[in-house]
Amino acid sequence: MAVIGVGRFIQQRQDFEDAIARSYQVEIGARVRLAENANSKAARAAIAAQAKRRNDLRDQISADTRDTALLVAAGLIAGLTGALLLFSGLIASLRRPLEELVDAAGRLAAGDRRARVEVGGLSETATLGAAFNEMADELEREASQRDQLDRLKDEFVLTASHELRSPLTSVQGFAELLMLERDSLTPRQVETVEIILDNCRHLVRLLNDLLDLARSDAGRLAITPKPTEVTPLIDDAVRTMRAQTESKEQALSERIEPDLPLVNVEADRIRQILVNLLTNAHEYSPQGASIEVTARPVGADVEIAVTDNGPGIPESQLDHIFDRFTRGDAGLTQRVGGTGLGLAISKSLVELHGGTIEVDSTPGVGSIFSLRLPAAGASVGTGQSHATTETS
Amino acid sequence: MARILVADDSETILLLMRTRLEIAGYEVETAADGQEVTERLHGGGSDQLPDLLLLDAMMPRKSGVDALRELRAAGVETPALIVSAHQDATDADAPSDLEVSGYVTKPIDFDRLLDAIAELTS
Repeated sequence: MAVIGVGRFIQQRQDFEDAIARSYQVEIGARVRLAENANSKAARAAIAAQAKRRNDLRDQISADTRDTALLVAAGLIAGLTGALLLFSGLIASLRRPLEELVDAAGRLAAGDRRARVEVGGLSETATLGAAFNEMADELEREASQRDQLDRLKDEFVLTASHELRSPLTSVQGFAELLMLERDSLTPRQVETVEIILDNCRHLVRLLNDLLDLARSDAGRLAITPKPTEVTPLIDDAVRTMRAQTESKEQALSERIEPDLPLVNVEADRIRQILVNLLTNAHEYSPQGASIEVTARPVGADVEIAVTDNGPGIPESQLDHIFDRFTRGDAGLTQRVGGTGLGLAISKSLVELHGGTIEVDSTPGVGSIFSLRLPAAGASVGTGQSHATTETS
Repeated sequence: MARILVADDSETILLLMRTRLEIAGYEVETAADGQEVTERLHGGGSDQLPDLLLLDAMMPRKSGVDALRELRAAGVETPALIVSAHQDATDADAPSDLEVSGYVTKPIDFDRLLDAIAELTS
């Protein structure tokens, strides 16, 4: 319509120009005749007529131009409206399936494995929807396989660590029996039995650690937190470690701020963590090193830190220090008897209590492992919600 | 001297228990499972009852827990310790209504076990 309008406008302009030109030609003819003085009256009348004609033509063209402009504007508006209607129809038919896709993708990403879309609408969105559903099916299959493997792994570790306990009891028990008669053994035999017993204890630690981790993975690591005094926990752990640190002439000290609030924890588990941290400090630090346990209130928490002036931990290892089977400097592992699970378990346990554990270390200066535990009376941490009843 | 009845399905464990407990001066009887325990104790009068039961939680035929439940139902009040492979032996091994004097975990810490036995049989 707009094109027709513009075409008409150009045609009108052309006609107008031609008419004006013709009018001037007539007027010029009249003026020539007037100059020659031939029939001056008729010539003047012709000049006046031509002037009037041009005026009329101008009025005519401006009226035509206005009409044509209106026509063009109407055409443009009609065109735009049509396009708008067409587009909004198209957008509406795309929008609903796309919104559904976005919504389903969001739910899938958030872990809802059953998120699917209804396939329909334009062929492009239908194809997209079908592809999405296929992908979601595949993800669901893989996830359920992985879940099953995880369950099998947890079951296996739980069963294995149970089944290994009976033979271990026998080995350790009979070795202890031999030690009851150590007076009749040669020094060489005593040493041999001691090695057996040392390794039994190591195996027990490993089994206990594996069991804890498997339970933690299976969401079956249970704690029963209650308001507990911090100082006896630290005293206990330090007493447990005293003989070992003295054998390496390491100074083991406590610095506990007075008036600490009670913490909401399961005492045995926190003692286990502290002994873990102290064992690490003891084993990785050289003869004569210093190890200190400190406790202080921090906000609504109590912070317990184990500081040593041992070799420290290289920055490259700090990021993985709480991963299972990560151990310090590989060269040391021959001498250090840890299981490589202690810190992973400590982290699980601290988090179960709603607390945090962190490490700060400078090679050549020493390491600080600090745990924060929620004070009793403060809001109870995630421990409560994880504290499920053991059902095995 | 106090008499202790030990039940475990492992002969090695029974030998170990017998040796350790006899060294400590106890008289030891053994049973291979819970079934044997209940059969032996049901028939006899109270003069045949041991002073202490040391029962493994998991045994074929009849577990220590099931055997103890039967004995309690039959009115046997002999103190009993349950031996468990669970690292943290808890009520998971035995329902809380069962009257148990204590739990012993494997591997057995004999110093603690002997302390507990001494207390229960004194």
